[in-house]
Amino acid sequence: MRRTMLYLPGNNPNMLTRGYLFGADGLVLDLEDSVSVNEKDSARILVREILKRGAFGECEVTVRINGLDTAFWRDDVAAIVPHGVHGVRVPKVESVGTIKALDEELSSVESAASLPAGVTKIFCLLETALGVWRAYDIASASPRVTAIIPGGEDLTADLRTNRSASGVELEWTRRMLIVAARAAGVDALDTVYPRITDDEGLRREAEFIKQLGYDGKSVIHPNQIPIVHEVFTPSEAEIEKARKIVSAAKDATRRGLGAISVDGRMVDLPVVRRAEFTLARAGITDNEQRGQEK
Amino acid sequence: MTLNTVQRDIPSHIDGYGNTAEKLYSGAFERMPEGFGRGGRIRAVTPNDRAKLLSGVSEAISASGLKSGMTISFHHHLRNGDYIVNQVIEACASSGIRDLTIFPTALFGIHKDIIPHIKRGVIRRIMGSVNGPIGALVSEGGMEIPVVLRSHGGRARAVMSGDVHIDVAFIAAPVADIGGNISGRIGKSACGSIGYAFTDALHADCVVALTDNLQHYPIAPVSIPGTCVDFVAQVGSIGDPAGIVSGTTRVTRDPLRLLIAKYASKLIETSQYFRDGINFQTGAGGIPLAVTAFMKEAMKNRHIRGGFGLGGITGYFVDMLKEGLLKKLMDVQSFDEEAVKSIASDPRHIEISADWYANPWNCGAAVNWLDVVILGATELDTDFNANVNTEADGSLLHGIGGHQDTAAGAKLTIIAQPLMRGRIPCLVDKVHTVTTPGEVVDALVTEYGITINPNRPDLIDACKEAKGGDELPLVPVDELRARAREMSGAMEPVWQDERIVGIVEWRDGTIIDVIRQIRSAR
Amino acid sequence: MTIRDNARTAQAGTLESMDCLVTVTESTGERQIEISGAAVSRFAGAMTKKVNQVLDELEGKTEAKSVVVSVQDNGALDIVLGARVEAAYLRLVGGGAS
Repeated sequence: MRRTMLYLPGNNPNMLTRGYLFGADGLVLDLEDSVSVNEKDSARILVREILKRGAFGECEVTVRINGLDTAFWRDDVAAIVPHGVHGVRVPKVESVGTIKALDEELSSVESAASLPAGVTKIFCLLETALGVWRAYDIASASPRVTAIIPGGEDLTADLRTNRSASGVELEWTRRMLIVAARAAGVDALDTVYPRITDDEGLRREAEFIKQLGYDGKSVIHPNQIPIVHEVFTPSEAEIEKARKIVSAAKDATRRGLGAISVDGRMVDLPVVRRAEFTLARAGITDNEQRGQEK
Repeated sequence: MTLNTVQRDIPSHIDGYGNTAEKLYSGAFERMPEGFGRGGRIRAVTPNDRAKLLSGVSEAISASGLKSGMTISFHHHLRNGDYIVNQVIEACASSGIRDLTIFPTALFGIHKDIIPHIKRGVIRRIMGSVNGPIGALVSEGGMEIPVVLRSHGGRARAVMSGDVHIDVAFIAAPVADIGGNISGRIGKSACGSIGYAFTDALHADCVVALTDNLQHYPIAPVSIPGTCVDFVAQVGSIGDPAGIVSGTTRVTRDPLRLLIAKYASKLIETSQYFRDGINFQTGAGGIPLAVTAFMKEAMKNRHIRGGFGLGGITGYFVDMLKEGLLKKLMDVQSFDEEAVKSIASDPRHIEISADWYANPWNCGAAVNWLDVVILGATELDTDFNANVNTEADGSLLHGIGGHQDTAAGAKLTIIAQPLMRGRIPCLVDKVHTVTTPGEVVDALVTEYGITINPNRPDLIDACKEAKGGDELPLVPVDELRARAREMSGAMEPVWQDERIVGIVEWRDGTIIDVIRQIRSAR
Repeated sequence: MTIRDNARTAQAGTLESMDCLVTVTESTGERQIEISGAAVSRFAGAMTKKVNQVLDELEGKTEAKSVVVSVQDNGALDIVLGARVEAAYLRLVGGGAS
């Protein structure tokens, strides 16, 4: 699950050590925007040590490295990848070539560190109009790519506008990226909501992207996590319906039936998949599901 | 070597305190009173000499008959805005009075002005909480006679049972009349409740009210009646309003504190005490206030209406009273402007004395009616003993307040605070100082989870049966201790001398621990 | 005096909560370590050990330089202290800050 991925400033020991306690599904240890140019070296060392210690609870751990147009990214990859991260989040991706270059670098570092090839995933930040336009190609450029994420501030600047309360300027990008992500078979994760004290605004935006089909949202403050989770957590009625569908599907498989029916209505396979996904999101495991059936 | 029942080695005699054999802590409710209470000198005022008015602090000192070697008391309702303690001590020094024992309900940073008078011998002994610079002075061996620390309830008990005799009580009064009736409710220095001053007013040989707001006889309402006040002295100002009460207290947005508060609130909601009529005390710190906010939401959602809110009262409690979520407030100390306004205008907001609040030796203090209290501590150990007095370096920096009393009284006592303060863990193998014994502490709530005292299996079961494991992450105390140790590394021992500089009394007057002089350099 | 008047110096870290500010200065004498902060009373030995351990490792990898290390601590865990010492030392030997 990637309902929430919490950014942790890479030069802040307090957040880096305790950030995982706030219950986000994932963490993004940030070496890019939250670290000034003069502190890139010390943040990289600090993040490396924090990764070595490896206390992150159940969180998926990623690092936002510096862009491939900077002098820092190779050092970033060399410092962090050997210590085991689920993935790297790479900023300002505009081309398939960027992903290929990163892919090669990751492979060589993985090999030197005796890690399985391809174990480090790539999360692509599409922060320019060109990057958004090529979203599908980028998402399909390597099997390492696991998610695409629209930019926020950088993208609106590139679009020659700015971020508004309604988010109208990002609406088309968000709609386009969900299609590209699904077509390429990767996750679509939303950008951050920058107004950290506006809980209602965050809730509206989370509801909107959830309805579009997004898998989750990046967050910049721990207080944003419960709000996004609440939006992404299925209601009791949704869970009940999903349980019925999944149980009917299993029943049909057991009896060798091709068609599945719930409450007298035929159900397609994609609907079953969605129901399974709903249960996963609600944190209901297979065992619990079986328990329910008894 | 004599160990008390929390395994602290207490010498049989402590210089400046006396023999300890009959006074070793032996359990939270073991020591019971015998005999009769003590009072102050009996006085009489005839119709012809009813005038009590004096023109200032020096005249008051001289009228009170204060002499070298006596004991004087103060209340701390003016907190860090108080001018009275410094003024009285200064005037005593000017009149050549020496060797005083001061017996405040608490001291604050503003009282550092008395340090030179400690050094010159004007003040010989302190019985009461010592914070900040005065605490540091005591820790480093700056006083010959050890400080005696008592809880609010323990202090009231000590006065009423005769352990401490007050020669003169100096009471800062935000409003007073010429007959000596006083109150804290109005005036430019209004502080709301003056509950900590009640016991002193009733038991001192001489009571002096100091006011910057003199009124005709009588004022209304009255907190302490003029029948027990000998003199009323007018002063320019009793305190700085900015230091007396804080503005409206807002709930923190600090995510770590909110996380801990959320766990604590969930624990309360899961306990058997979360039902109609729940009585609780939460205090004014960042975490306790956030717990109150979460509890308030839960009470609304589950249609629960509480009984009373106790202790130091904040605007947050006042809102709950107004919204019908609490029926009464029992206020021994008003923390902010909202609380001061409320106690002055709402009869459901009751002013209570320290005796009523917390004294273990009366016919039933308010703490005995508490269901839940949220407290902090600088350290807790794996036996759940709590230390609120000394810091990691062993220095005495904080008073006991109502910690012992509410922990002993409440059915559910929760210590809620971060597991780590920087590198310093709050959960250790053995606390440096035992303030409150583990037998009256039920749970520790930290950002790394909730640990419940094994002597409360009912509470552990309630949590396990409850839904929503993420919201109630239970951790055994040894596991949480191991986690803290993994982060901090092993702690080196406190660098201290044998000499005792402080005695921590349990609320019943037994010695629960002693505090030794620290060595500043290795 | 082991520190010359124009000795090169470098810093890393901050005085924020759970961090520390580490200053390393080139010296001609033996390594010296000074630590201040609230945790010193209970962790001075562990902190000194960590600083020594990091410097020993780095001196094995780079051109060894004798240094005076000053740590202003605000609650750094060992891994943070180590990271700050490493960053400050590498800045010094890398010739960055002066």
